Amino acid sequence: MSSNLRKGAVTLPILTSAWRLIRGNPAIWAIFGLVIIFSSIVTERFLSSSNLVAILKNFAVTSMLAVGPTFVILLGSIDVSYMGIWMFGGALVWLLYPYLGLASIFIYPIFGLLIGLFNGVVHVKAKIPSFILTLAMTAVLAFLTTYVRNISGVLTLTVPAYNFLRESPIPYLPSPFLLSLPTIAISIFLMFFTKLGTYLCAIGSNEEGAKLAGINVEKYKILAFMFSGFLVGLGSIAIFVHLGNQTRVDFDPSELVRGLAAIVLGGTPLAGGMGGPHRTLLGALVYVLIFNGLFLLPGVDPNHLKLYIGALLLGAVVIASKALKGALIA
Amino acid sequence: MKESISSREWFQRNLNTIIPVTGLILLLIGLRIANPYFLTSWDSVITLVYGMSFFLVAACGLTLVILMGSFDFSVPSVLKLSAMIFAVLYPSIGFLSIPAALAVSSIFGFVNGLLLARFNIPSFMVTLATSMIAEGAAQVISGGYTRMITDPAFRALSTTMIAGLPSIFYWTITIWLISIFLTFVTPFGRAIYAVGGNLVGARLAGINVKMVRILTFMVCSLFAGFSGILYASQIQAGHMQVGVLDMIPLFASVVVGGTALTGGVGGVHRTLLGVLIIRWLDSGLSMLAIDLNVRMIVFGAIAIVMAILTIDRRRIKIMK
Amino acid sequence: MDIQKQLLEAKNISKTFDNVVKALDAVTIEVRKNEILSIVGENGAGKSTLMKILVGVYPPDSGELYYIGQRVPFPRNPIEALRRGISIVYQERGVIPHLKVYQFLFLGLEEKFTRLGRLQLEKIIGIAKSVFDELGVRCDLSSYMYELPLSTQKMVEIARAILSIRLAISDGEASDITPIIILDEPTAPLSIEERDELFQYLLNLKKNNSFIFVSHIIPEVMKFSDRIYVLRDGKLVAHHDLSVEKISEDQLFREIVGRVSYYELYGGHEYGRAEAEGRPILLSVRNLTKKGYYQDITFDVREGECIGLFGPAGCGKSEIAKTLYGELLADSGKLIVGNKEIDIKGEPHSRLRRGIGYFSGETGKELFLYWPIRKNVSIVNFEKIVRRPLKIVSVISFRAEKTLAEKIVKKLRIKAPSVDTECYSLSGGSKQKVSVGKWLEKSPKILILEDPTIGIDVGAREDIYEVLLEMKKNGISMILVSDDPKEYAILCDKIVLIRDGKIQKLYANEEFRKVMEL
Repeated sequence: MSSNLRKGAVTLPILTSAWRLIRGNPAIWAIFGLVIIFSSIVTERFLSSSNLVAILKNFAVTSMLAVGPTFVILLGSIDVSYMGIWMFGGALVWLLYPYLGLASIFIYPIFGLLIGLFNGVVHVKAKIPSFILTLAMTAVLAFLTTYVRNISGVLTLTVPAYNFLRESPIPYLPSPFLLSLPTIAISIFLMFFTKLGTYLCAIGSNEEGAKLAGINVEKYKILAFMFSGFLVGLGSIAIFVHLGNQTRVDFDPSELVRGLAAIVLGGTPLAGGMGGPHRTLLGALVYVLIFNGLFLLPGVDPNHLKLYIGALLLGAVVIASKALKGALIA
Repeated sequence: MKESISSREWFQRNLNTIIPVTGLILLLIGLRIANPYFLTSWDSVITLVYGMSFFLVAACGLTLVILMGSFDFSVPSVLKLSAMIFAVLYPSIGFLSIPAALAVSSIFGFVNGLLLARFNIPSFMVTLATSMIAEGAAQVISGGYTRMITDPAFRALSTTMIAGLPSIFYWTITIWLISIFLTFVTPFGRAIYAVGGNLVGARLAGINVKMVRILTFMVCSLFAGFSGILYASQIQAGHMQVGVLDMIPLFASVVVGGTALTGGVGGVHRTLLGVLIIRWLDSGLSMLAIDLNVRMIVFGAIAIVMAILTIDRRRIKIMK
Repeated sequence: MDIQKQLLEAKNISKTFDNVVKALDAVTIEVRKNEILSIVGENGAGKSTLMKILVGVYPPDSGELYYIGQRVPFPRNPIEALRRGISIVYQERGVIPHLKVYQFLFLGLEEKFTRLGRLQLEKIIGIAKSVFDELGVRCDLSSYMYELPLSTQKMVEIARAILSIRLAISDGEASDITPIIILDEPTAPLSIEERDELFQYLLNLKKNNSFIFVSHIIPEVMKFSDRIYVLRDGKLVAHHDLSVEKISEDQLFREIVGRVSYYELYGGHEYGRAEAEGRPILLSVRNLTKKGYYQDITFDVREGECIGLFGPAGCGKSEIAKTLYGELLADSGKLIVGNKEIDIKGEPHSRLRRGIGYFSGETGKELFLYWPIRKNVSIVNFEKIVRRPLKIVSVISFRAEKTLAEKIVKKLRIKAPSVDTECYSLSGGSKQKVSVGKWLEKSPKILILEDPTIGIDVGAREDIYEVLLEMKKNGISMILVSDDPKEYAILCDKIVLIRDGKIQKLYANEEFRKVMEL
């Protein structure tokens, strides 16, 4: 009798906090729903081990470009420089490999940090809107990458020496996924175990009030951009490996949408103030599940990918604006 | 009592006219030096016309949206889609494919405007999504192939020579003039400037802001559609080459002309100047055999610099 | 003066801005231990300037500060003020809605609870719990600020103010210091019930703290203060210790407002004409209700009549005006213009079409500063300058626009080189004139005026009153909302007194003047 009571005393708080977690993060519903739907329709292909591995790989690749920028979104600003950091960072790795050897991979997070720092300082001091600034940054870096490829006479910028990274020591967990874990861990730590998460939400929620409360708003804005760049850089290592130790060399601006989609689907409002990388991770998972399952369905043409992404983003943004209305103050 | 302004202030305030005009003059000189035939031979003029015209039509539409204080990413994609619809449907229904393409374009504009007006979703986000939908739709319709149309009537739309200039020139000038008329002489145009200049004031003055937004986006997408049709006719095909990347020179030409991102300042008349500058710059740079990617960076950089210079900081207290 | 109880004394404080505006002129106030001290005065009387000096936002030009009898320097920044035991809760924009309660409580104060970059959340939450228990705040620490009712939000802000003082003071001194918490218009956004809750809270906290209560709202000030200082035009004009003297609300009101009688110039204007002549009723408001703001508002406005909605700050008069114009939506009730009922959920642009205009004295809001005068005048008057050459297209006639603008400039004596002058370069009064000029031309059926002459000089003010009175004579009805009772006396035929969101009384112009002793 008493052991039952004790069990109840333990399970109930767990259940209520689990319930609170689910209620606060609607993306979880979406994940459950998608898994159930796809598992029932295309069971063998969806639940096969190779497909699950593919899901983890795609999850890693999608989330790495979205988790960092989430910090900037919390401010109410926007950071789309992730594509540029990812692309040109890879070009840098290729360029520096002859001089630095295997250590050149570490240029990725350093480069990301520097770009983030630049973005932050210019945004804060020169008062340039973050959207334009980071868009310009990403375009410049992307074009530079293509330019590098063009003048170096090779078709791709591959660095075969890193091939050892492609094999994962753990079965069923692909190496891009493993390589994404440090980024995920750092972002969660920053968000929940330091002041950063709280301060960024405060600035996004009420910048004037944050200033009145004594927060050094300029400093934290710059920090947000810095960490965004750093995390993107660090996470790009996973993408680098996933793509076969090379970077993408053609600029396709529509790829920009992926990172934003993950953030929006996760439930972090674009106006800032709440949300965070934990939500973006869920959003990335939703995104990946949708497209993974969608293309397993018979009759769905993968060439129509862009159309679906666009429609999805549109739908997500509309639903997000209505759903989050309750949480926003008029 | 009017305060007298120092010459420095006058300079700062009129920056958005001084820069484009100076830039144009410098370019003219520079290009003349590089290529003595530039603008002296009639052929070079025609080449310029072909390079500029469809571009200007799309830029006019984008200018209207920016004047209103919003942004429209979907212009190049709607352009592409419209061109594709025109090319794909032409073999079966002839020139009826034009209203079809235009209708589809307007729908995009309607959706853009509606989502902004009703749900208050930032315009860059909405148009980013719709641009992807348009791109995807273009891909679906074309099946990935370029559609060449050999029927001479198809190209006649843009290339019929009238008084030494191709018909596309006349179409473009007409649209440009219509835009000028719209923005300066009609109450609707005033409303666009009002919404871009002072949103609260516009509302208090009894302007139906929601309606203005929806209509402006529709006009913009309509122009984009029209531009696509003219372009397709000009190159006799609907193809996937044109696309989101062109957003950069397009945006650059609006901003370089002197229309501020914050809205309420500038206008379609300036966009003509901006388009000239960008196109000439493009010619000049390609004459110097500069890689396309570097050219894009140049346009991007110019656009950013100009945008920053013309942004009305006084109005934005908190810069996001 | 009981030296034992004296906490803070600010003597002969003066402050001038830009060599022109004398915000404070030799003001001396004293704050005592464990009291609620109110500082009252009109807009621009100097209240917030004085408070900002006390919390270190800027220094005074002259004056001395004494703390428990000892001379001390003025705090140079808010942190120093905290160490002195003075903190402030701002009127608005102080709350960060998307933070959890415990995050907001400690915002900016986390230094003491961070180790190796890691926040000690358990410690923070523990302290938060004990502070709330001590102060009697009842709420869930992990809810978001926006989830709390407004009064609870204010209480959390006050708790935060007290906590920040405690944390700023180094240990050892903590028990000696009685915190002084400045509350800047804390009740303005609150509903009536929430205000009572807040005051109970304050009365309870008085045992260990002192509060400086800056306010407009006379009934509250009278009910809950121990002492009152009255500021007017930067000078201290009265001090009342409510434990030893009794004063009436009207007396306090007069001290705040002062006596001015330049409106006697308008003695020639006949008030109450519209009713006397039996003019038709243009606007009927019936049972307009919006929860938390106003309730059952019912009144009529005749053609050519001006009704004033009068009451202390927060009574609901602004909200009623905004509702009439469509900026705010009522929950229930009826609005009838002419014979047609208006959809109370409609928006501003549809109201204008029905003949309701809105004029706010805040020119930044209404005016297009970078537009020339002519465009600002024509923006609501398109029907007057538009031609239809092709039936479907309407075209602006620039000549008509120019003529129209010139007419207004002449009539209102606006000082500008031409109608093409951009409005930002005009003086404040001229800007206001352009704004009101467009309405003069528009001649809506009903014009809602909100703070029409805020912040402008006397000359321009009189010109605007002249225009408004003329519009009234021409049959335009008006509804006035303002903070200046003299304005009501000048413009309105009838004045409706609103308190706590309900209509209390209706005064005719003469009655109002008597009551206000103007």
